[in-house]
Amino acid sequence: MKHPMPLLECKGLVRRFGALVAVDAVDMSLEAGRIRALIGPNGAGKSTVFNLITSALKPTAGEVFFAGENITALPVHAVALRGIARTFQLCHIFPALTARENVRIAAQAREHRRWQLVGGGSVLARSAAVADEALEHMRLTRFANVRAALLSHGDQRLLEVAMAIAQKPRLLMLDEPTQGLSLEETDRAVQILKDLLSNGNLSVLLVEHDMEVVFKLAHDITVLHRGRVIADGPPSAVKADAAVRSAYLGGSE
Amino acid sequence: MIRGTSWKAALGVTAGVCVLLPFIVPQYSLTILIEALIFGLFAMSLDLLVGYCRLYSFGHAAAYGLGAYSAAIILTQLQLPLPVGIVLAVLVTMVVAVPIAWICTRSTGVSFAMLTLAFAQLGYAMLFRFRDITGGSDGIVGIPRPSGPLGMTWFQGKTGYYYLVLGCLFGSYLMCRAIVRSPFGAVLSGIRENEAKTIALGYNTRAYKTATAALAYGFGGLAGALYAAFAGFASPELFFWLVSGRVLIMVVVGGAGTLIGPILGGVFFVFIEHELSQVTDLWPLIFGSIFMAFVMFAPEGIWGLLTRRFNARPELASADAGNETSDAAA
Repeated sequence: MKHPMPLLECKGLVRRFGALVAVDAVDMSLEAGRIRALIGPNGAGKSTVFNLITSALKPTAGEVFFAGENITALPVHAVALRGIARTFQLCHIFPALTARENVRIAAQAREHRRWQLVGGGSVLARSAAVADEALEHMRLTRFANVRAALLSHGDQRLLEVAMAIAQKPRLLMLDEPTQGLSLEETDRAVQILKDLLSNGNLSVLLVEHDMEVVFKLAHDITVLHRGRVIADGPPSAVKADAAVRSAYLGGSE
Repeated sequence: MIRGTSWKAALGVTAGVCVLLPFIVPQYSLTILIEALIFGLFAMSLDLLVGYCRLYSFGHAAAYGLGAYSAAIILTQLQLPLPVGIVLAVLVTMVVAVPIAWICTRSTGVSFAMLTLAFAQLGYAMLFRFRDITGGSDGIVGIPRPSGPLGMTWFQGKTGYYYLVLGCLFGSYLMCRAIVRSPFGAVLSGIRENEAKTIALGYNTRAYKTATAALAYGFGGLAGALYAAFAGFASPELFFWLVSGRVLIMVVVGGAGTLIGPILGGVFFVFIEHELSQVTDLWPLIFGSIFMAFVMFAPEGIWGLLTRRFNARPELASADAGNETSDAAA
């Protein structure tokens, strides 16, 4: 699907922490319906870019545009309401609530009457229906009434993805969805994500360490190294890129 | 957990017993009963913050004092009917709560507790500053219970007042229960479990916390107003931090995040205090020991202990705010 204007556009993003330049003049864009992976060695600034896009951190310089709107200065919750859903590198869920309640709260964020103080049965029921659908996508239906704290680590990560898709986002941002998973769990998660993304309705920005996962899922890849973009293109081109190879293999510059 | 029809039956039986109590106990015992119910209501109001948002307010005396002084001033100066005066006092308390809560919710944890304490102490200090209105250290005495509207006088006697307090407690409980089970309440459980995630989902959590604080202050103010009109006086002690500490202990001992638990905690402590203070001067020591015992051996509180007998799983706040959408819709 061609779009005249990219869904997400980062222009000259810079973020300094004291003397450290974590993100340095990063330009990146994402067209609607595409899956872009953001990769790079440890400390390359991937998570910082993530946090700059979602407003969890404010950039030292540069701007973020979403669907043509400058969202750089918006508070975190407002960015989410524009249609950006994210997962966290360290799983963020509601441990004492059941899986369905976790996802239901996520779905409810889209409701106009989410503020309703008393009653609100219809809001809760609608949100629960969206939640059940999202749980089904992540193959978690049988855990719907299980407290999230009791799920395996792999299922907790899928639960967080279920929460994100229940937000019905225009842009889904996944921060290392397979981190800490066993090989089998990773394969399963990748398969589930692949099924989810196969219809092309979702636009995705993915941070991932595991190269195999990236090559299985992404259409485009942006490679970060020491806060800078060193490569940008389809997987085949990035795989062959000399700068990427040296960055990953730890070769000198 | 008590669900559905059995919940309604239990509520009905409890209400029935409470309604019959004035015919069973002697008149002089009604005083302690009324105080117990008022403190139950007060503790329940704090539970909205402590149990559902995990906001440990150490300044809830401000709600109590504000409600009491507002009612005292409205009733003595304006001579409005008692129910009208109480409603106005609740509204005043809620309005004052909004800016205080907005400032306090800038922080969380210990600094939140300290900020709330500071505001309550500020209120305490202001009582002495604005002597003309508040009566300074003497407080306001001789608070009347003006009749009306429609010439109603039934709440002027002790038995009638007991029913007024009982009605306020039940009404407030039903309202709080509806609140924690509503979409709003679901967001609160998200804030309690993981606030950063709740923000990332698109909720302006600070606004939710401020609204909850206003509600908690409103119910706490109702308790204070009922107390002032019952005792006939409002004194600076109502604003004092000891009140904040006591009510927080009642919430924890009763069982935070259950609404019923803190009511039981409030009632329980008023009775214990009443009985012990007749026997020994050392009752605060015993009060403290009970608190420590609960924290160490039964952190789920009185209500948790009671429900554990009937269920494999004690009633968690999450279950209460949680999945019975059909019940909430009914």
